[in-house]
Amino acid sequence: MSSEALIAAATILAFGIIILGVAFGSAVGDGIVASKAVEAIARQPEARPNIFLFMFLGIGVLEAFPIIGLGLGFYLLLVVANVPALLSHLAK
Amino acid sequence: MKEHIGYHYTAVWPVVGSVHTDTIYTTWLVMAVVLALLASVGSSYRRPRVGKTQTVFEGVIEYIADLVHGSLGKSGEPFVPFFVALFIFLFALNQFGVFPFKLFGLSIGGSPTADLNTTVPYAFLIFVLIQVVAVRKKGVAYFKHLAQPFPIMLPINLLEESMRPVTLAARLFFNIFVGELLFIIVASIIVQGVMIGPFNLSIAVAIVPFFIQFFNFFVGTVQAFIFTLLGVVYLSLATGDEH
Repeated sequence: MSSEALIAAATILAFGIIILGVAFGSAVGDGIVASKAVEAIARQPEARPNIFLFMFLGIGVLEAFPIIGLGLGFYLLLVVANVPALLSHLAK
Repeated sequence: MKEHIGYHYTAVWPVVGSVHTDTIYTTWLVMAVVLALLASVGSSYRRPRVGKTQTVFEGVIEYIADLVHGSLGKSGEPFVPFFVALFIFLFALNQFGVFPFKLFGLSIGGSPTADLNTTVPYAFLIFVLIQVVAVRKKGVAYFKHLAQPFPIMLPINLLEESMRPVTLAARLFFNIFVGELLFIIVASIIVQGVMIGPFNLSIAVAIVPFFIQFFNFFVGTVQAFIFTLLGVVYLSLATGDEH
């Protein structure tokens, strides 16, 4: 196995692990926020606009972290290791 | 691929040194557009009829004013114009990436907020505003909160305080930047003409940018609002009474 193939394989694996982590964490977090919001609205329907505001605030703050992870993952994949160039080089 | 990841036109200007010219020109253009829009809305109050634009802007301004009053109480009144302006300007900056000026070879285009050089100064502005307002209100005794509840917590409190502008800037930057990155990745898939058996994946993928644009509109609005709201919350935490 050439070293380029090894680098490409390791980078793609690392990208997969990063996406796994951020997707799992943000999905759990979003689920918790939304379920608590539904519970709160069921308990106090008159406070609904306020609860919606804080639900969207929480989801917006939370969504930043998977997106930061995604951005760093793409940076790793496309700029640091430059996997598309490696793959096209390997295909020759 | 001509469009690089995080690519900016750079130039060396006198005094300031190397700058991202596309970010600066786009910010000026957005400033001009927003100022013209707000001037037209302001001057429309001379007419007796209430227009649709007026109603929309009054809704936005009252929403943010309610937010500031709810968090800061009566003392928040002077900050309402600042936060309204911050929200409207950040919203316009985030949404300006829709126009593909860069494709026509112009030196403008793209969201200026997809550049750390735009988001870091705004976060720093909020940080300095909070310190100045808190010191004006409480005097030098304000810095005692860094040694609360025990003096040994000083490094942790210092880290927490200094990480706030960093996360504020990074959150806005990465959200807008990834929105533009997704376009580049989808475009590169379309250009490469990927075939899966007899099917051309590129044609199927060509509908995806349409949905990414909706996602970007939502994300830009929410992130502008969150930037403003977190500014209000941090300000209320710094100037509020001890509990």
